[in-house]
Amino acid sequence: MDLFANPCPWYVAGPLLGLLVAGLLWAINKPLGALGGYIDTVQWVGERNAAPSWRVLLLAGIVIGGALSAVAAGAYRPTLSYGTFTSSFGAIPGAGSVVLLAAGTLIGYGARLGGGCTSGHGMCGMAMGSPASIVCTMTFMGGAIVVAHLLAFLIGVGS
Amino acid sequence: MKAAGLLIGIGFGFVLGWSRLTDYDVIRDMLLLRKFDVFLLMGSAVATAAIVARVLRAGGARSLIGRVPIAWSTTRPTRNHFVGSMIFGTGWAISGTCPGPVAAQLGRGQFAAIFTLAGIFVGVALFGYLKRRNEIAASAPRAPDLVGPTPGL
Repeated sequence: MDLFANPCPWYVAGPLLGLLVAGLLWAINKPLGALGGYIDTVQWVGERNAAPSWRVLLLAGIVIGGALSAVAAGAYRPTLSYGTFTSSFGAIPGAGSVVLLAAGTLIGYGARLGGGCTSGHGMCGMAMGSPASIVCTMTFMGGAIVVAHLLAFLIGVGS
Repeated sequence: MKAAGLLIGIGFGFVLGWSRLTDYDVIRDMLLLRKFDVFLLMGSAVATAAIVARVLRAGGARSLIGRVPIAWSTTRPTRNHFVGSMIFGTGWAISGTCPGPVAAQLGRGQFAAIFTLAGIFVGVALFGYLKRRNEIAASAPRAPDLVGPTPGL
């Protein structure tokens, strides 16, 4: 379908994501955050016989939803390419995958220490007006913008 | 609870993929301040969620599952919020993705996500391991203070 083949504009995607945050609050009175899915998956794998929590299913749902978005666009094409990332950091698998593994570790450890990620703090916590989420969002946005510019200057990312 | 989590997750992953927040170049162009639609997307998501959540709370709505009044608490910022978010932002800028979109990438068949996902699990597990170790160290009985000259000096 053409509707799903073309990128969803921000003024549709933003309100939809906001409604999903509010929808989860209405359904089960819980804050939405992807990081919680990782925390609970680690715990679930560590404790045998325990059932997966709703946050594990939220994360699994995101994987399924991603797949559906590609299928709806008629563009489910498994690939090892990752945009211009590989021309800056190296091939996948290869040097690029080592960089992604290291960056992922920073994401996991940092988000855990900071108590949330782009969805948990940046969308949900900001919407609820939590002071910690406002500080976190300004910090990771500002930090990421600085690091992106450093990468552009040092190794020519984006050139 | 689980069905709600799964359904909201499917919707979330679908919109992340449909709006191309799963593309490295989209996030790169956002962080290099070349394109501003992702900032507008996030801003409109926050505004929508803020309004709907407050309408639900003010109207005395109860959760569909559990029938508890819709409410939330807020948190005061600490040093850990700042330090953790700096580390997180660095990983985000390098990889061009974060915990939500990377899961949608995997679903879309962008297998670079396998490495980023593995890293996130390592980081989360490492944090949990270090936290537990520190708690054990803090609760362990301390050796009595030595009186007199320290042995070995």
